[in-house]
Amino acid sequence: MKSPVANSASAQVQGLARFNPFSRRLSPQNNAWRWLFWAGVSILILWVLAPIGLLIINAISTPAQVNGWPKSIAPGIHTDTLMFFWNYNGVISALINSILAAVFTMIIAILLGAPAGYALARFVFRGMTTYKMIIVMSRAFPMPLLALPLAVIFIQVGIDDSLIGLAFVHATLALPFSVLITSSLFMGIPVELEEAAWTMGCDRWQAFRKVVLPLAAPGIAASAVFAFVISWNEVFASAILTVQNRTLTAFLVQSLAESPAEIKFAGGLVLVVPALLFLFAIRKYLFSMWGISNR
Amino acid sequence: MHKKTLTLALAGLLSCSVAAADTVFFSTQARPLEEAQAMRDKVLKGFDGEVQFLPQEDGPFFARIEAEQKADKGSLALLGALHGDYPPIETALDNVNDLIPTLQAAGVSPGYIKLGKLGGEDQMYVPWMQATYIMAANKKALEHLPEGADVQALTYDQLLQWGQNMQQATGEAKLGFPAGPKGLIHRFLQGYLYPSFTNSVVTEFRSDAAKQMWATFRDIWQVSNPRSTAYNFMQEPLLTGEVWVAFDHTARLKDAFDKQPDDFIAFPAPAGPAGRGYMPVVAGLAIPAKAVDRAESARLIKYLMEPQTQIATLRATSFFPTVKVDFPDDLPKSVQISGTAVAAQANSPDAILSLLPIGLGDKSGLFSKIYQDSFQQIVLRNADIDSILDRQASQLERLMQEAGAPCWSPDLPSTGACPVK
Repeated sequence: MKSPVANSASAQVQGLARFNPFSRRLSPQNNAWRWLFWAGVSILILWVLAPIGLLIINAISTPAQVNGWPKSIAPGIHTDTLMFFWNYNGVISALINSILAAVFTMIIAILLGAPAGYALARFVFRGMTTYKMIIVMSRAFPMPLLALPLAVIFIQVGIDDSLIGLAFVHATLALPFSVLITSSLFMGIPVELEEAAWTMGCDRWQAFRKVVLPLAAPGIAASAVFAFVISWNEVFASAILTVQNRTLTAFLVQSLAESPAEIKFAGGLVLVVPALLFLFAIRKYLFSMWGISNR
Repeated sequence: MHKKTLTLALAGLLSCSVAAADTVFFSTQARPLEEAQAMRDKVLKGFDGEVQFLPQEDGPFFARIEAEQKADKGSLALLGALHGDYPPIETALDNVNDLIPTLQAAGVSPGYIKLGKLGGEDQMYVPWMQATYIMAANKKALEHLPEGADVQALTYDQLLQWGQNMQQATGEAKLGFPAGPKGLIHRFLQGYLYPSFTNSVVTEFRSDAAKQMWATFRDIWQVSNPRSTAYNFMQEPLLTGEVWVAFDHTARLKDAFDKQPDDFIAFPAPAGPAGRGYMPVVAGLAIPAKAVDRAESARLIKYLMEPQTQIATLRATSFFPTVKVDFPDDLPKSVQISGTAVAAQANSPDAILSLLPIGLGDKSGLFSKIYQDSFQQIVLRNADIDSILDRQASQLERLMQEAGAPCWSPDLPSTGACPVK
């Protein structure tokens, strides 16, 4: 099941990626171009905001309005449905579990993914293409297929029903992205900068830490966001590998599909908002990744 | 260095989050959030012990049980699922023979106890709660009833006429069936149409009466809302007014009756030439073979089978008790509305009880698929009835022989596998 978070996040990323280059190229007073530019911008903004707006409106409407016809754009402010979630047993602890699992996934994915990306960008070694293939291959198997054997092993090893175990699985799903993103990132940072640092007395690690890392930080942050969102959205593995320590998605998504419409909307909002807040908090890094401050 | 403190704090939190062991109640029932909440707050709160109620979708439910069985170590204490969910996981269950006297004393019907044996010797699950399928109608539809028809004792011909009348009056198809991806249309075929026309589910699969039935249903489909193939829960189109007359599971109509009790009525399913077929739904409680504390699980089952708990479960889920209870007067609207229709359906003079499949083992899913496929080919794709029924009948025959399942009601008892004529 794909939640709206992933879609809106990737839409945002695409939107940002296009925004800057376009604005520079289209700045001449060409009316048709300008019109087209703003039309494009508004479509991209609506693409992201319209679904979230609908979600919010329906989440704070009365059940009668949600089911009724015709729909009005102004919602009757009605917070009962949202309060239902707030008072729902276990939502808070599931929320904390989700955040912990996502943060841990992020840390593992970066700690393992960034060095792998650096190696792929800087060195040529035997089996490099195979290695790249294998990394991407890990996404080729659907979760429902992997979850059962994984659960068996986890139970036997004793990391079943723990957030660390879950974070390992989510990190495996996130690693291909973090490796590929960071490797293209390191490729974009000229090796001459590192060489200059070496000639000035840095050793390899110092050169990396003082010169390459600051340049790459925004991109690493972006791949961290991917890892976070992947963990946040994942339902199937979470539902099987945890029993008492559920993540929010595993806890809610399974029940939402069969709940009345107004509960679905409110639940959707509850699932989307934390991820949005997270994106908002790190937006500075995302913005700088596409070229304002670092290149 | 904040980073270090943060990492340490995170690691600490992670290790703390492995919670104390509660009794875990894994269930495919009471999945909607409000029902799950009511199960926790109203039903399980009275139990002297910590219970964690975790409603599951089917996929994770089966995968988790299978994983625990293979790993030879378990954390689930109690399972709640439909009769049809149990055969595939039968080997992962402990028998509950020790609870049979409790069930008999509580007044669980012998038929249901027998269902819980899954066609074998041992009691594999305890019949926990029951429901059935009925019809619901918006009161606006009643003025279009065909002349002389009694809504409490309809026939399928009258239902067809009713649908036609509504379409003429409103220009829209106002009948609806749950034929969506998660809809229960196959139960309508197995438990309602087939028994009503042929007094059989398996044996008369391709009889002339069955052909007549498919032709009638194809006509009814012509005046049914084309969005029926997307409906999973009929309460939603009923509430929006998209559909006026619908067939569904009582728990899937509940929301409409609760939200607008004055706008809707419930009534028994129609009758065909052979009678009024209807099918009960039974959910059961089972103990996994790898349960940590079997005695605690058994104690929880006993608690759930107490009359008061069963009434609380009825309020929470709209599933009716399997034990003998005295119903209080202040039940929710949905229970009051559907309860009358359920009783009228079961007690109608021409009623034909159609049981859930027995003894098919893990082939229950394939059994339903035969009916779903026939429906898709004949009704949705307008294929030739005779040739489709011939093809599906041979599949059905093979399935019955492979499973070696004898006939169940309404088919007459058979020695050996249930024959397909």
